[in-house]
Amino acid sequence: MTTAAPGTTAYLESLVNVATGELDRRIFSDEEIFELEMKHIFGRAWLFLCHETQIPKKGDFFEAPMGKDNVLVVRQRDGGIKALLNTCTHRGNAVCRAEEGNVRNFMCTYHGWTFGLDGELVGVPGMSDFYHDDLDKTKHPLRKVAQLDNYKGFIFATMDPQAPPLLEFLGRTGRIGIDLLAERGDIEARPGVQKFTLNCNWKFAVDNAFDYYHPQITHISAQAVGMIPSADATDTGGAKTDEGKSLGVQRLPTDLDTLVALGEYGHAISGPSLDSILKTLPTEMHELVTWRQNPGPLAFLGPVGSRFAGHPHLFPTAWFTMDSQISLRVPRSAGVTEVWWFSFRDRNESPEEQRAQLGRQIHSFGPAGFLEQEDGENWSQSTMQTRGGASRDIPQLLKMGLGRGKIIHEDGVARIEAPVNEYAQLWTYLSWLEWVKGTGWDELRSSTTPGDHI
Amino acid sequence: METMRLETAIAPEKIAAMYLQYEVERFYTHEAALLDHLRFEEWVDLFTDDTAYFMPIRRTVPRRNLSREFTRPGEMAFFDDDKATLVGRVQKLGTGTAWAEDPPSRTRHLVTNVRIVEDSGTELTVETCFHLYRTRLKSEIDEWIGRREDVLRRTEEGFRIARRHIYLDQTILLSQNLSNFF
Ligand code: FES
Ligand SMILES: [Fe+2]
Repeated sequence: MTTAAPGTTAYLESLVNVATGELDRRIFSDEEIFELEMKHIFGRAWLFLCHETQIPKKGDFFEAPMGKDNVLVVRQRDGGIKALLNTCTHRGNAVCRAEEGNVRNFMCTYHGWTFGLDGELVGVPGMSDFYHDDLDKTKHPLRKVAQLDNYKGFIFATMDPQAPPLLEFLGRTGRIGIDLLAERGDIEARPGVQKFTLNCNWKFAVDNAFDYYHPQITHISAQAVGMIPSADATDTGGAKTDEGKSLGVQRLPTDLDTLVALGEYGHAISGPSLDSILKTLPTEMHELVTWRQNPGPLAFLGPVGSRFAGHPHLFPTAWFTMDSQISLRVPRSAGVTEVWWFSFRDRNESPEEQRAQLGRQIHSFGPAGFLEQEDGENWSQSTMQTRGGASRDIPQLLKMGLGRGKIIHEDGVARIEAPVNEYAQLWTYLSWLEWVKGTGWDELRSSTTPGDHI
Repeated sequence: METMRLETAIAPEKIAAMYLQYEVERFYTHEAALLDHLRFEEWVDLFTDDTAYFMPIRRTVPRRNLSREFTRPGEMAFFDDDKATLVGRVQKLGTGTAWAEDPPSRTRHLVTNVRIVEDSGTELTVETCFHLYRTRLKSEIDEWIGRREDVLRRTEEGFRIARRHIYLDQTILLSQNLSNFF
């Protein structure tokens, strides 16, 4: 709770307390804060749009969200890619009502203005009879994103012309996050993006990507049927069911040996180390992670980057899984978030391997996934409780390992080695605060550059 | 007035077709009742060991791209299960710790428009429409309407589902999960 006036910098700074590991729950439901996020985060950051293999042929398009804007990512006649705002320059109608497909041009169904794949206005009904040829078509193309770039086939855009180049925005940590997918082989998006709707604030979904504390409870039923491994060791800490029984909580075998990377602008990685995951995977599945030790991938990942087997997350909303998927958390309002799952395959793998991976992807995550079925309600109920007048005054806790996070700088990566912890979540909110304050790019970078501890 | 005897008025093959329709519909209402009464172990027994249970992703596409509206087997999907996976889902519900269904959802499976589109002797291809209504916790409502395409195999125990493809009438799902069966 704070006495500073809402909207001021002092007010925003009172919402995140890194020293005590406490957040103000208002950040999950206040509409004004959501609007600040739209402006200062989603209006400025480089956002993942799609993968180039989703739009291989000229005229292929995929509609992607950028904050409240909708953008058409379009394969051009010359093979290039452009990202156009899906709003007619006449009076605003969407020029395309499909999620994906193939077109020759975009014709607005309100009055028929027609735009080429490059966004140029090429047709205006009544140009001579009604407009008396007195309309400069070159002045009214579909608007483009401010900057568009592509890292190894992953297409990103920003609405801010001042934003640093994509590579600088990603930094070493962000690039490692993408390389852990891109360098696996000859990567291609599988047809079909799973999309579903959660009644939660987007940040609950985002910080969960780093949360290795929850699987042993949230996903205990998936653990019970063998979807995820469990350790013999337990530390139930007195947890009991509502019948007073111990659940026999079994942590993940990797939980005492995890690695965190903290990166500029809020990117982070958290989860098991390569060594610990190798100990839990059956030998025939080692290839799932050992490919990164091959010379090609290793050249990009480096000795430190290749040791991460957890969850990379690109600020603000793109989580990369260990098995070639991206989960995009798409904010629609303070209390509604869509989850979009992009799934990839390696064209070099055998059909059997590709098929097995497809099964793992479908059966782990997504709305019917053995794991993810259980996640949504935690986040929607958590969001709901941030609206109560009394409930919202209770701080949100990120105290695990607080003050014990010794940051090791090596090979351009800032890492922490520790048992399960909440450092990456804390890093996300520390960075989030800098973003929503509207901090300029240079200061944003320096204030989100990891020091020696957290 | 003289009552006409049914079998003299209607051709025998029509009576056989009516009876088959009756049997198939009875099978589906039985199946729906098992699901709505949370009797999942009995429900999963209605599937053959070589079954395929598939729910593709549906996409809003321009009319001329309608052929790519649904993903196909081998592409991404919401469900792409064999028997072992389906049984795994049922076992998961039986652990007592599958929180997405605890407290349990209240569901009503309404199955209608039952059309037997092919009868090969050993197997039937049957299309149905469904309305799955779910309420959860205090005030949440989810609804899924769609179409199913089943292959029903005739066995000694009665019909068994040898394939089920489920086509939802939603593209972006409006619900937080699919923790129920269709
Ligand atoms: S709004 Fe698009 S043509 Fe008028
Ligand atoms: Fe989870």
